[in-house]
Amino acid sequence: MARSSQATGQMGVGGAAVSIRNLSKRYNNYNAVVATTIDIESGDFFAIIGPSGSGKSTLLGMIAGYIDPTAGQIVINGRDIVPEPIYRRNIGMVFQNYALFPHLTVAQNVGYPLKIRGVSSAEIAKRVGESLAMVRLDAFASRMPSELSGGQQQRVALARASIYKPSILLMDEPLGALDKNLRDEMQEEIKRFQQEMGVTVVYVTHDQQEAAFLADRIAIMRDGAMTQIGSPRQLYEQPNSRFVAEFLGEASIFPVKSASSKGDGQLQLIVLEDGTQVAIRSELDAGPGSFACIRPERATIGPKARSLRNAYTGTVRESLYTPGSIRYRVDLSGTGCSLKVRVLPQAAIDFLETGSLVDIGWSDDDMTILTE
Amino acid sequence: MRLRRFLLFVPAALLLVPFFLAPLFVIGTESFSGQQAPVGEYIKVVTDPGIRKVLYNTFFVALVVTICSLLIGYPVAYVLARLKGKMATIGLFLIFLPFWASTVIRSFAWMILLGRNGPVNSLLTGVGLIDDPIRFIDNGIGLMIAMTYIMVPFMVVPILNGLRAIDANLPRAAAVMGANPWRQFLAVTLPLSMPSIAVGCTIVFVTALGFFVTPSLLGGDRTVVSILISEQANRLLNWPLASALAIVVLLLTILVFALLRLSQLASRRRGKTQAGVLA
Amino acid sequence: MIGEKQLWSAWSRFLGSFVGAVLIGFLVPILVVVAVSFQSKSYLSFPPTDFSIRWYEQFLGNDDYRNAILNSIMIGGAAAALATIAGICTALAVVRAEVPARTIVSILSIAPAVLPQIVLAIGLFPISVWLGLQGTLGAVILAHAVVGLPFPFITVCGALSSYSNRMEIASMTLGANAFQTFRHITFPMIRAAVIAGFIFAFAASLDELVLALFLSSPSTRTLPLLLWEQLNFQVTPEIAAAATVILLVTSVLIVAATLLPRLGKGD
Repeated sequence: MARSSQATGQMGVGGAAVSIRNLSKRYNNYNAVVATTIDIESGDFFAIIGPSGSGKSTLLGMIAGYIDPTAGQIVINGRDIVPEPIYRRNIGMVFQNYALFPHLTVAQNVGYPLKIRGVSSAEIAKRVGESLAMVRLDAFASRMPSELSGGQQQRVALARASIYKPSILLMDEPLGALDKNLRDEMQEEIKRFQQEMGVTVVYVTHDQQEAAFLADRIAIMRDGAMTQIGSPRQLYEQPNSRFVAEFLGEASIFPVKSASSKGDGQLQLIVLEDGTQVAIRSELDAGPGSFACIRPERATIGPKARSLRNAYTGTVRESLYTPGSIRYRVDLSGTGCSLKVRVLPQAAIDFLETGSLVDIGWSDDDMTILTE
Repeated sequence: MRLRRFLLFVPAALLLVPFFLAPLFVIGTESFSGQQAPVGEYIKVVTDPGIRKVLYNTFFVALVVTICSLLIGYPVAYVLARLKGKMATIGLFLIFLPFWASTVIRSFAWMILLGRNGPVNSLLTGVGLIDDPIRFIDNGIGLMIAMTYIMVPFMVVPILNGLRAIDANLPRAAAVMGANPWRQFLAVTLPLSMPSIAVGCTIVFVTALGFFVTPSLLGGDRTVVSILISEQANRLLNWPLASALAIVVLLLTILVFALLRLSQLASRRRGKTQAGVLA
Repeated sequence: MIGEKQLWSAWSRFLGSFVGAVLIGFLVPILVVVAVSFQSKSYLSFPPTDFSIRWYEQFLGNDDYRNAILNSIMIGGAAAALATIAGICTALAVVRAEVPARTIVSILSIAPAVLPQIVLAIGLFPISVWLGLQGTLGAVILAHAVVGLPFPFITVCGALSSYSNRMEIASMTLGANAFQTFRHITFPMIRAAVIAGFIFAFAASLDELVLALFLSSPSTRTLPLLLWEQLNFQVTPEIAAAATVILLVTSVLIVAATLLPRLGKGD
């Protein structure tokens, strides 16, 4: 949360509030984006994630201006930019494969938007120098883009898209073309850059971890519509639908048959489809058609589990040691339920082989109710 | 904004409408304006033995030239496709060098080579293969040799591109499965290069149908349809008949390209169903 | 005993030599033209028995050739320029602008290259007479621009398809309007294709005979037309001398055209 206060603390340094109102795009018989409304605060790092074909790139294209919306408004700094051509919107965009101009040097690429704006060449040289210094590429000014590595090209694209202080910065899967290690490094770079510039960023990715690392707020899209918008923590801990719970992180999800009472924050007893009873505390009503969901690290394995509100015995069906965590799949004895469990590989913890009998349990606030 | 995009069509439209589409329209109307019944000129094209002979001759020459260009062009493309780096550049350069020489000059070269006292006849009589010089320029063989010489590059380029597009691992896969080089070629390379062969043959055949320069210099008594049209229009001022012949050539050209397109669509559909079976 | 492997490699060596022979053989006719141009006899004989440059002297003093060369260069240059402008615009419309009727426009823009020229000539003649262009340079220029259009259209389409329209979109997000984007981004990226298209169109005009035959007058006679008329009349070593000079000039042009874009890319 320190993150967002820092960002709002620099409000106004090139950041602008973006307000998307009932924006939609329809192709022939297919709704790419259905009436979407989002408010993005000034200086926010806003990520849009979703499976391919969910409409996230279409949404970004409409903000940038190369896709015409069917209806709706995009208000930036109090002005609807939909009627304006791309080149008047003063938006910065980093493209998936960077779209660096291959016939221009790094310095010419970064200076291009200033040249178009009629800035004097002395001023261009000065600001390009500053901008390249900020992405630590001053030594590469006279190289051609093809002579740079993927990460360097990415940084040139970042410098080029921000040198003219655009009101917002759009990024379309900017790390998609990089390998894993470089991607982690560039995530840090982008984050630092955004915080120094204080610019509002709209960031499209299909990588949920990348989004969680970078963003103040995340919007999850599905079939052209926003499913849920919130901070990474909200989305992970209080997903509002089965889709969100499964898309962001792992989860064990069980259909609910009936509930003892309304979801009023008090303890209630829930019967799952297979007859298993669980006790939970939730603000949401459970009932037929809803689901009970538990994240893998919320379940406790071992003797400690016996003292928890929901305590069972189970058999380890799969066990897998991965760097940083141990993953199990545990079948609860006498039920049809199967749980994904993740524990930290600490010294005190034994690695359980497949077939072991274990105690397993969780407390009443470890499960959430998903309505769908 | 949207309308402005259509401005991009204006320059081409200014060229093509008055100087390409209008001429075709003019030929069309002219061809029906003969003395006899509206379709009199077309009846003449179909029935006149002289014209039929010319049409047959044109077709025959184009066919032979296409086959010869394929027989020479395919091995050339096949070998060039396997060359790499400098050798490939040199090979392409050699094929294209004569390509850039004007058709008139290349035809002229064959007039010298195949003349009565030209080097080819000197060689053949010198070796003792023949006693009297062959009249290449009158018997149509010279025409076909010169036209093949001119058309081979048109055959090499599409086939070369087609062969280069074939995944090098495919013949290797066939080899691993036990096919010898000849069967690799028959089972993989040749079928996969068929579409480019079709393109090359179409281009060569259509171009050969419309050839004017080389037949007028090397054709001798064997007239082709281009020369017939030119004579009817220029010398005999029989524009309706010239136009009707032009329409026949035009339709034949369209027909050949339509056949190519159909074969491409058919093979694409076949590719799809095969992919479907595999999936 | 010869192994199977040796047999196959012998076969592939044979194939290689066959193709090598074909490629070298393709140069022979051209070389023969050059060879016969340097003889002194007034009729063509091969192999040449002596060396002389009298036919070159005669060629250089021949006004018919000078006029024909000038006509051909003027017609080729103007026709190629018109074709290139129209070709660039049409390619932009077809590849980038997502204008409807793209397929039919593409077919129409390529058709002049495959349509037998005699067909076009028969139809253009009355139109040229009607417009009062008959016998002028303009008539041949416009006809050659039509015939040349497919070349820049195809090369520019190829260049535009070789990179995604993201380059242009990127330029526009950076603040450049359509014209600035074309000038600073699109044109530099397709420049080599534009030059190649222009040269192909120019070469097509230099080689074209049938349209020139129908549309020009003795004063606007082009080079191939003059050569053709002379060949129909009599085959002389002077024609070989003229052909040699033309071959030399076109070779220099083509080599320059292939090397220039590469040199440009190098720096």
